[in-house]
Amino acid sequence: MSKADAFAEAGKTAVLQNIQGTIQFLQAFPPFDQMEAGHLGFLVENCQLRFYAAGDPVLRPADGRVEYMYVVKQGHVIGQRPSPTGSGMQNTLEIAVGECFPMGALVGERPTRTDYLAAEDTFCLQLNREAFARLLGLSVPFRDFAMRGVSSLLDQVNQQVQLKAAETLGAQYSLDTRLGELASRSPVTCTSGTRLRDAVRLMHEQHVGSLIMVDGQQRPIGIFTLRDLRRVIADGSGDLQVPLDLLMIPDPFHLPPSATAFDAALAMTQRHIAHVCVVEDERLVGVISERDLFSLQRVDLVHLARTISSAGSVAALAALRGDIAHLIDNMLAHGASPAQLTHIISLLNDHTVSRVIELTIARLGDPGVPFTWLVFGSEGRREQTLHTDQDNAILFEAANQAEAERIRQRLLPLAREINQALDQCGFTLCKGDIMAGNPELCLSRQEWLRRFAGIIHNPNPEHLLHSTIFFDLRAVWGPSEGCKVLVDSLLEMIADSALFQRMMAGNAMLHRPPIGRFRDFVVASRGAEKDTLDLKIEGLTPFVDGARILALAHGISESNTLERFRLLAERGVIEAKDAASFEEAYHFIQLIRMQQHQLQERAGKPLSNRLDPDTLNTLDRRILRESFRQAQRLQTRLSVRYQL
Amino acid sequence: MNPFAFLSALLGRGPQLDDEQRRRLQRLASPPPLDGRPLQTQRFVVLDLETSGLNVERDIVLSIGAVLIEDGAIDFGRQFECTLQRQLKTVTESVLIHGIPPSALARGVAPAEALLQLMEFAGDCVFLAYHAPFDQRMLTRALKTELGYRLQHPFFDIADLAPMLFPEAFVQRGGLDHWIDYFKLSMAQRHHASADALATAEIALILFNRARRMELDNVYQLSQRLAHWHRSRSAAQHAL
Repeated sequence: MSKADAFAEAGKTAVLQNIQGTIQFLQAFPPFDQMEAGHLGFLVENCQLRFYAAGDPVLRPADGRVEYMYVVKQGHVIGQRPSPTGSGMQNTLEIAVGECFPMGALVGERPTRTDYLAAEDTFCLQLNREAFARLLGLSVPFRDFAMRGVSSLLDQVNQQVQLKAAETLGAQYSLDTRLGELASRSPVTCTSGTRLRDAVRLMHEQHVGSLIMVDGQQRPIGIFTLRDLRRVIADGSGDLQVPLDLLMIPDPFHLPPSATAFDAALAMTQRHIAHVCVVEDERLVGVISERDLFSLQRVDLVHLARTISSAGSVAALAALRGDIAHLIDNMLAHGASPAQLTHIISLLNDHTVSRVIELTIARLGDPGVPFTWLVFGSEGRREQTLHTDQDNAILFEAANQAEAERIRQRLLPLAREINQALDQCGFTLCKGDIMAGNPELCLSRQEWLRRFAGIIHNPNPEHLLHSTIFFDLRAVWGPSEGCKVLVDSLLEMIADSALFQRMMAGNAMLHRPPIGRFRDFVVASRGAEKDTLDLKIEGLTPFVDGARILALAHGISESNTLERFRLLAERGVIEAKDAASFEEAYHFIQLIRMQQHQLQERAGKPLSNRLDPDTLNTLDRRILRESFRQAQRLQTRLSVRYQL
Repeated sequence: MNPFAFLSALLGRGPQLDDEQRRRLQRLASPPPLDGRPLQTQRFVVLDLETSGLNVERDIVLSIGAVLIEDGAIDFGRQFECTLQRQLKTVTESVLIHGIPPSALARGVAPAEALLQLMEFAGDCVFLAYHAPFDQRMLTRALKTELGYRLQHPFFDIADLAPMLFPEAFVQRGGLDHWIDYFKLSMAQRHHASADALATAEIALILFNRARRMELDNVYQLSQRLAHWHRSRSAAQHAL
C-alpha cells in the first residue's frame, strides 16, 4: 500500500466512526433494519443533517420537485393538507423518529402535496435524489419499501406472524396455499358405466377415499366416496354389479386451482362435504380431501363443524367451545387473516346456534309455527371473536295483532330456553336483554317494521344506539325470506329519511380514533386503564359505524363491514383505493386485538380490548397509528358528506 | 523562535515538508472576512481536538475530528477525522479521557500531513468549537510548529454562543454534556473527537436557527453581539 493510500484508508476508517453511529441508529427502524450494512453506509455517506425548530416548514408543495428523502433522526414532523371543507389545513400524517417521507412524491418525481412541518425541535437526515435513485437500484428491501409504502409494512407484519407460526408449528403451509399446489397428484377417475365392484377395487388399489367420474372431455360428472359406499351398504342394496352412475353424487362441487386452502375448508364446512374437485377450464385437474386439509392445518375445521352439527346435547356443544378456541389459535398461528378468522368463528357459531335451537326444540317439542332466528351486532356482521355475547331475536309471520300475540306466547318459553342453552355454550347472556326471550324482540314482521320505523322517524339517542345494533341483522336459522323482505323495507325507509341518515352519521363520529395532533397515541391518563386505548371502541367502531351508515343510505343490505366497503366502492360511493385502505386498517386493528386476546387467554386473564401501545414493537406501533389515521379519514369523509 | 521550536529545529524535526506539501501549503485558502453574508451560505468547520493534556504550551494534538456545515446542513459524506502519529514519552491519566491508546498513535498519520489535510478540508471556513480558545491555541501552535503556517481563521466558541442565544437554559459555562442534555441530543459515543464534533455541530445548527430568528443572520452581527454579551457579563460579574 502506498503512503497516500494508507492515509486515505486511515481517513476513511476514522470517518466511519460517525457514519457507524448513524447506521446503528437507522437499523432500529424498517426498512433500514433489513438493508445490508454496505447499502446503509452508502445512504449515510450521502446524507446531510438539518435542524428545524418547532413550527419550521420542512418541505412544501411550493418547493417544486422533491429533491431529498427525509428521515426523522430526532423530534417529530407533521404533514398537513388543505381540509376538504376548504377551511384551513388538517393534519394527515405524523412522522416519528426513524420514519421517511415523502416517498410517493420522490418516486413520482413531483412536488409533494403535503406541507411538512416540524412539530417540535427536529433533526432530519436528507438523502439527495441521485443517491436515492442509486439506492433503489442497490437495495431490494429499500426498493420494496419505497415503491409500496405502508402496504409493504403490512406485508412484513403478515410475514412476521406466519414466520412465528412456522417456528412453533414447523409447518411451511398457510391457509393461503393455492389448491393448484396442494392437489398436485393426478386424481383417480372412472367413466360412465363403471360397476360398483370395479370402482371399490380401484379406490382400494389407489388408496383413495373418493372416485371422480369424468366424461370424454375430463369434465367431472359425479363423485363417489367411501361415505357413499357406507350408505349403499347400509341401505342393504349392495349389489356390486350396479353401475356407479346410479350411486354417485352428480355434479360435484368444484373450485379453480387459484382458490385457496381456506376456500376449500370453508366450502367443506358450509356444504358438509369431504372432497372438493379442482377444475380448470372445465377439466378435472385434482381433488382436495378433508384429510389433505387436515394434514395441512393440523386443525380439523370440517370435522369440528360436523361434530357441532351432530352434537347430541347442549353439554356436548359447550365442551366443543374449547376446540373452537384451539382451532382459532392454530389458524391465527398459520397466518389466517382476521377476516378469515372472524368469518370462521361466525360460521362455527352459526352451526352451534342452529344445533342449540334444534336440540331445544327436540327437548321441548315443536311449537308448530315457523320462526326465524335473527342475530344482530357483531354476530349479524359476521365479525365475532371468541369474546362474544348474545344479540338475538325472533321473527315470525302473523296475519294480525291477535295472532302475533298468540304465536309470541307460544315461542317465548322456547326462546328463553335457547338463550339459556346458548349461555351454557359460551354466548354470554346480553346485559341489555337484546335476546329472543324478551317479548319486545319476539315479533312478527309487521311488528318489526313498526319498530324500525319508530327508530328511523324519531332518531333520539336511545334509538340511534338501537340502530347500531338492530340494523346489522341476519337470519341464522329458519326460513330467511321474511328477513330479506324486512331488510329491504328497512333500506327503503332509510333512503327516504335524510334526517335519520344525518343523525346516524353524527353518531358514527362519537368514537374518535385515539391519535392526537402532536402525540403518538391518545391514551387514558389515569385509573386502572392508564396508558391504554380501546382497540374495539376507539379503533374498530369508527369503521363499523362509518360503513353501516354509508351502506344503509345506499341500499346495501350486506351487514359485514368489509363487504360493505367493497360494495360501496363498487357503486362508486367511496373510492376503491379508500376502500382498500380502510380494509387494511380495519384488518390490522382486528389482528392486534385478536393476538392480544390470544395472549390473555393463554395467561388465564380476562379478555380485554385495552392495549398499551408501548407494548407493541416499532413496526406494529407505526401501522396501528396509520390505521387509526384511516379511521380519522373515514370520519372526515362522513363529516363532509353529511355537513356535520 | 520559541524554545520548543528551537529544540525541534535543533533535533532536526522542524517543518520538514516535501515539495508537493510546500505547494499544497501555498494553495490553502485565505481566512474569510467576518462579513454580512447569511449564515446559510457561510462555510463552518466544527473542530474537536483530542490532546495529550490541557496545557496549551506543552501538550500536543493527538487527534482531530472535524464536521463540515455547509448550506446550513451537516454533510455526512465530508467529515474529517485523523489520528496523528505521535510517540508519547509518558502515558498520563489523560489517556483515560481522550481514550487514544499509544498503539493507535503509533499508526497515525504524520502530523504535518494530517494538519495539511485538515486545512485543505477547512478551506475558507469559520471554525466552531466547544471551548474554542483552547482548540484555537492548540491548533495555532501545531500549525506553526509542523507547517510554519500562521492560523488566522476566525473562531466562534459554542460555549459562548449557546448561553447567549439560549439564556433560558441557565447553563453558564457548563460542559458540552449540559447542552447535549438540554437539547436532548442522542449521542452514540462521547469523548471521541469526531463524535464530539458531531454533537457540537448539531448544537451549532440549533444555535444558527435561533440566531436567524433573532435577526443575527451573519457572522459579523453574531460577533458584535457576542462582544457586547461578554462586556455586559463581565460588568455584571464586577458589580457582584
